[in-house]
Amino acid sequence: MEKKLRAQLEKIVGKGVVLTSKEDLTTYSYDGTATWAHMPEVVVLPTTAEQVSQILKLANDNKIPVTPRGAGTNVSGGSIPIKGGIVLCATRMNKILDINKTNLTATVEPGVVLQDFNLALAKQGLFYPPDPQSFLGCTIGGTVAENAGGPYCVKYGVTKQYVLGLEVVLASGYIMKLGGVTVKNRTGYELAMLFTGSEGTLGVITKITLKLIPMPQASKTMMAVFDDMVVGGQAVSNILASGVVPAKIEFVDNFILRRIEEMMPMGLPVDAQALLLIMADGSPAAVEVEAKQIVDTLKKSGAREVKVAKDAAEAAKYWKMRSAGFAATFGAAKTVLAEDVAVPRDKLAEFIGKLGEISERTGFFISHLGHAGDGNLHPAIFTDVSDKENFAKAQEAMEEIFEAALSLGGVLSGEHGIGLEKQRFLKRAMDPVALNLMIKIKSLLDPNHILNPGKIWEEERV
Amino acid sequence: MALTADRFEQIKRFEKDLSQCMKCGFCTFWCPVYQEERIEASVARGKNMMIRGLLAGELDYTQEYADRLNKCTLCMTCTANCPAKANIPNVIVAARADAVKARGLNFPYNIVYRWLLPRRRLFGWVVRFASWFQGVFMPKTEGTIRHLSMFLSALGKGRNIPQIAPRFLRQMVPVVNVPPASVKTRMRVGYFSGCMTDFVLPHLGKHIIDFLTRNGVEVVVPREQGCCGAPVFLGAGDFEAGRKMADANVKAFEGLDYVISDCATCTSALKDYAKFLADTPQRKKAYEKFAKKVKDISEFLIDVLDLPASAYKPSAVAKGKKVSWHDPCHLSRHLGITSQPRQVIKSISGVEYVEMPNADRCCGMAGAFSMHYYDLSKEIGDKKAASIKSTGADIVVSSCPGCEIQLIDSLLRNKVPVKVMHIMELLE
Repeated sequence: MEKKLRAQLEKIVGKGVVLTSKEDLTTYSYDGTATWAHMPEVVVLPTTAEQVSQILKLANDNKIPVTPRGAGTNVSGGSIPIKGGIVLCATRMNKILDINKTNLTATVEPGVVLQDFNLALAKQGLFYPPDPQSFLGCTIGGTVAENAGGPYCVKYGVTKQYVLGLEVVLASGYIMKLGGVTVKNRTGYELAMLFTGSEGTLGVITKITLKLIPMPQASKTMMAVFDDMVVGGQAVSNILASGVVPAKIEFVDNFILRRIEEMMPMGLPVDAQALLLIMADGSPAAVEVEAKQIVDTLKKSGAREVKVAKDAAEAAKYWKMRSAGFAATFGAAKTVLAEDVAVPRDKLAEFIGKLGEISERTGFFISHLGHAGDGNLHPAIFTDVSDKENFAKAQEAMEEIFEAALSLGGVLSGEHGIGLEKQRFLKRAMDPVALNLMIKIKSLLDPNHILNPGKIWEEERV
Repeated sequence: MALTADRFEQIKRFEKDLSQCMKCGFCTFWCPVYQEERIEASVARGKNMMIRGLLAGELDYTQEYADRLNKCTLCMTCTANCPAKANIPNVIVAARADAVKARGLNFPYNIVYRWLLPRRRLFGWVVRFASWFQGVFMPKTEGTIRHLSMFLSALGKGRNIPQIAPRFLRQMVPVVNVPPASVKTRMRVGYFSGCMTDFVLPHLGKHIIDFLTRNGVEVVVPREQGCCGAPVFLGAGDFEAGRKMADANVKAFEGLDYVISDCATCTSALKDYAKFLADTPQRKKAYEKFAKKVKDISEFLIDVLDLPASAYKPSAVAKGKKVSWHDPCHLSRHLGITSQPRQVIKSISGVEYVEMPNADRCCGMAGAFSMHYYDLSKEIGDKKAASIKSTGADIVVSSCPGCEIQLIDSLLRNKVPVKVMHIMELLE
């Protein structure tokens, strides 16, 4: 069977792009999560929608699971081939097909790496804001399938706000076009949105048209130092209430701050309980006014110190510090459970207070890093998966964090998606009828459940 | 268990690097091999996970495993940009070593690495013998560039490279080269002439020795020195043969305060003896002491010799020319030497310096890598050629004969009329 499948796939895509050696399969068994892994039976790297269509037809006829993926940088388990079968990897579909400076749109293949796209846009003074922090590796197809977000989303919104049109291959092999290249489009249901954030369970995205904006002319970065995390959280709400929407508001706690200072000494205030990094952007005049207002609000909100970066180099230093937060968190223990809850922005301080209570009650230290401006935090618990008792308790503590976020009107996942990582909690976080409807939509589009099976909801419901 | 520990003796030494990778995949953006192939086994994350699979008993020493481990230029770009600072090239070299220890080397590498390279004179004769066939069977291409001799072309697959020199460096210069009578001797150094300078570019070695002696440096060229060992212990993972070569080189330069090298790969390999080959406390001590003495030529000129501006006169070919610098991986990321060569070029009167985009991007040579994967090597080289072309430079210089071969080959293939030289050839 395996040999036959290989031969059939090679007939579609050609030799050399169907991988079956145990070594290669190993390298498609993981993603950016700490513990999820499963081997596929075969990896195929198509280069055209037509090839994708034939692969899906073959898989559908033979009921073979297909896990679509890009660079495998996700942190939800979304690209793990948990049922084996075929991994359909889009990294070789990486052409930028069009950048239209007048219509402010771009059309790309799904395997285009986000940073390559950003660099190409910057040359023309254009800007695509959604910035998941995996931008150096992640593919645009992946960011659409996960509806990814990042720091810039406070002001500019997440991926779904930029998707105008999609080409999607259905499980049947049909190549379907959705949406278009216009900013407004009221033709029927918003089906392109159904596939945006579908985590590869409804179809394989083969072409994407995105909305762009002109590159903001100026920006200013501020760093505020707080002696109390809850006060820092309240300051975020105060800024938003003051009538300014900064481009980014990021939160770094004392633990991560000290780790970063260890990794790359840059004279950070290591006694601070929280740092807020804030960026205002837009026209030079607007940036001046907004920055002043933000600084005033921060001071009134109880910031010990507010620094305004005097030039681009100093600003870059602060943001480099923030991006090191990821390594600082994940390098801190053998296993790091980092979550992705989001709460309403006026509940941030309350949520941080609840995290403190959970930490005290469970005995687990909780680190906080995240996109405070959109209420999206990544609370992290340090454990060791090989220590079963500790790991189980860590998972219980994490459940308490979910409960706390949900009780404040928040959500399970702000930007990472459900994948495998959070499906145990989905029932608690969704209206049961809506959950059922989701599964019905899945069955309608993919009756054999070949597309990324085993993801989002727990299996026994099917 | 003890057996397992021994089986992965070298990998275990780099366990910290192995476990530090958190699989974020950011290395995909930087890896020159991944950028061409776009498959996971190309990149540090994938290779590291294969090695973890080997340790877990899920993978074995297969041809596929060896092939994927070999497909790395050790350019270190992944490490330089890794959020977790995981040095996966360390793990890859260690894994190559454990594989060699467990499975041995294949023909002809067992002969070349274990037997031929450590015997410098004999190796010279083999190269000489090969050179007689050069030009007889192969068409001449451009200028002094010819298709390589029979011996190497079997490995090199028709690459354009300079021909074997009619006389080797060791036949051209004495062991001790003293400054002219009119110049005061400031210091005494050893000169490490890598295989390329010795056999292919002896005029470069002679030129460097002349420059140094003219500037008051007595240059000793020990006859007992051999290959640095880079292709043997870094490339092929043969640590046993590597140790023999390391010991011979350490001994050859005993009593000298500095060991000057004009080849980035040699320089970093000589400094890497301690990291990879020190299996006893004695070796560790000797290798560490030796590493401190080793200096890249630009580093030596700027940091140690500190010459007056008048010493930086352009050579006839460099006068009035626009020059760009290619950072060899082994100099920039392995040793952190990036400012000194630029300072050398900028110090030369009448030479205009122009920085190329992505000057520190790997050129794709990487020794045996380019023989095993010439097509891939060419694709990586094409990007470098485009970078060089965009500068409008007349000359591109580097400090690594390996890179220079690749630059010549890539520029010729892309029909970019830029001359490739060693940085020292810019100086009179």
